[in-house]
Amino acid sequence: MKKLHIKQLIEKIEGEAELDFTFNDGLIEDVKINFGFYRGIEEILRGKDARDALVITPRVCGICNHAHLLTAVRAIEDGYTNAGMPVTLSSKANDIREFTLACELIQNHVKWLYMTILPQLEKYVQLESGENYAIKATYLSSIITKALAIFSGQWPHSSYAVPGGVTCDPTYLDVMQAQSLVDESIKFFEQVMVGLDLENYLEIESVSSLHKIEGDFGTLLHLMGNANMAEIGQSHDRFIVFGNCILSKPGKSIVTNVSNVDTKYVKESEQVGTVSKAVMYKDRLYEVGPLARGMVAKTPIVKNLHKRYKDSLLTRVFARIHEVAQLLDYSKKLLNNLELDEPSCTLDLHTQLGDFEGTGVVEAARGSLIHTTTVKEGRIVNYEIITPTQWNLSHGTKGQQGIAIEAMVGAKTIEEATFIFRTFDVCSVCTTQ
Amino acid sequence: MKPRLLWLQAITCNGNTHSFLNHPDLFSILSHFEIVHHPALDGSYSMEDVIKGSVPCDILILEGSFIKEGFLKGGVEVSKLIQTYANKAKHIISAGTCATFGGIFKQKDPDKISGFCFDLEEKTSRYESYASKLISLPGCPMHPRWMSYVLLMIAKNKVIDIDNLHRPVELYGYTVHTGCTRNEYFEWKIDTKNFGLKEGCLFYEQGCQGPYTRGSCNKILWNDVSSKTRSGTPCFGCTEPQFPQSSLYTTKTNMGIPAKMPLGVPRRAYLTLTGVVKSFKIKRFTERLMDYDK
Repeated sequence: MKKLHIKQLIEKIEGEAELDFTFNDGLIEDVKINFGFYRGIEEILRGKDARDALVITPRVCGICNHAHLLTAVRAIEDGYTNAGMPVTLSSKANDIREFTLACELIQNHVKWLYMTILPQLEKYVQLESGENYAIKATYLSSIITKALAIFSGQWPHSSYAVPGGVTCDPTYLDVMQAQSLVDESIKFFEQVMVGLDLENYLEIESVSSLHKIEGDFGTLLHLMGNANMAEIGQSHDRFIVFGNCILSKPGKSIVTNVSNVDTKYVKESEQVGTVSKAVMYKDRLYEVGPLARGMVAKTPIVKNLHKRYKDSLLTRVFARIHEVAQLLDYSKKLLNNLELDEPSCTLDLHTQLGDFEGTGVVEAARGSLIHTTTVKEGRIVNYEIITPTQWNLSHGTKGQQGIAIEAMVGAKTIEEATFIFRTFDVCSVCTTQ
Repeated sequence: MKPRLLWLQAITCNGNTHSFLNHPDLFSILSHFEIVHHPALDGSYSMEDVIKGSVPCDILILEGSFIKEGFLKGGVEVSKLIQTYANKAKHIISAGTCATFGGIFKQKDPDKISGFCFDLEEKTSRYESYASKLISLPGCPMHPRWMSYVLLMIAKNKVIDIDNLHRPVELYGYTVHTGCTRNEYFEWKIDTKNFGLKEGCLFYEQGCQGPYTRGSCNKILWNDVSSKTRSGTPCFGCTEPQFPQSSLYTTKTNMGIPAKMPLGVPRRAYLTLTGVVKSFKIKRFTERLMDYDK
């Protein structure tokens, strides 16, 4: 038995990480994942006004800032409710928030497809297509974030969600413009990404009909199939979702059995050798993200892929891109049904509570995002953020390796392992907030 | 030969990276340069090459706050990397408030974390060495078109006119208030009655810093469609050296008057004007904008 240690710097994952591989007899046996710098957002928040979290927390992450904003506002609203002042949003405010969050998820997934997965896979299989994938990524992401900004004022780093609603007061002039941008994004999805009408794409439920998918997603599926990637990258087959959204209800899935969850059983702990913290649910590690949402919601095509290939790289990659279709369809419906006559904000300007504790949960691009705020005399005394990547990248304990580590174990080469690593859409900055 | 562009990150959230990726003409702008390395886009060298210190660099874009010790990439202090390439570069662009003044992340360790050449408004020890090639683009994040303006000016060998903090005056000569759709309400001192209304000014209660914050957010719109104040959110002063201040959704006042005056406006002038306009009641500004004259 020959043990071998190799360190590798992984870049273009919203920052960098250092992976420390242990090979045993030519196969990866263990991986240590190390991140560089702890920025201390939770500490920065202490002593600030409760609502300042709506400005500070988006700065955790340049690519999923909007999810942080919405989690932060839900934490305050939950706190108000816990303190005896229930907050009810108008359906307009709720739908606008849903819409802007969906736009951010689409932006995320499409950048990941075109700026991470396709170019990295080409490198891995040594194919040089000469495609400018980045121009496709930025075309779609700039269009869909423009639709987002019509309501939120800007992307990145909007703070337009406030307790009780949203700050914008849109007219049909705004809604029509957003609708055109969503339609343009749907055209891109249909003509460039999958070569199918959105409606026809969403009808795909069985593995045997995957051959209908063309476009860049079709190319990706072919490349992964040819590289025998359908079954590699399996992990613990345990999934968890805390947020309640169009993609999934909260729940956990263990070998396809779905049951209820409660955030009170989530525990964070320090890890040796890295600035990121580990997260567990009742002492067990769970995978979060699109695959988790697909499993808990029992999305037919995700379930069927899982039936054949388990929680493999292929299933994980598919689940993420599949959400683009679901979210585009949802965005269009939200705008069609928007009731502009309702109030944007149901709380009065001067209605604020001084003492409360609340938890906000949002399904962000990479999985469940949780903020807990504790406020005394209007000031934040404690703020806790648990990001999706912390779940997937925890080191694990004796007897159970972390989710992403387990997926890499058994890989033959560093190239194979780092490609598996990237299928989790790792976000370095969120992990080291 | 095209100028060689290196985008280097220190303590950051990547917000400026993603802001720039939103530029609608991104690839035509980039066609003037060779990207040697970028945090998201393909470049001709890897991060490991960058860490070795051997990558060529004509234009250095810095993103993120600066710390001298304790942040390593591939075993090398990031501060060393920055200085290596800052020495090589003909132009240094500090992208965003963190790289320029220290920004949000400075608040974690105010004595050790700062911008590269400025610590809030004060010059750092590095300032003298790099002042001749420094352009500041503060903003949390900076606007993509602010960056493309600077890059294209460099590509076309034009001189960029800057102020005392090295900000291009064509971008930061304006305040965020310039072009705000709520300007009439500001003129007549009418505050907005709540969040989520298109009527009223956010300067009096909601903490808007637009009148004294430098930046062209309401001239060069965000994502080409909107801005914070247009969507009813106060300006938080994110381009300013002191960003972020506290209690951001509340206006600090002295005897009911905003404590901080619009840029360059003497308090006496402001009070005089306020006294005059407040003595009138203008019907149009007391009702919903689109109900008037119906």
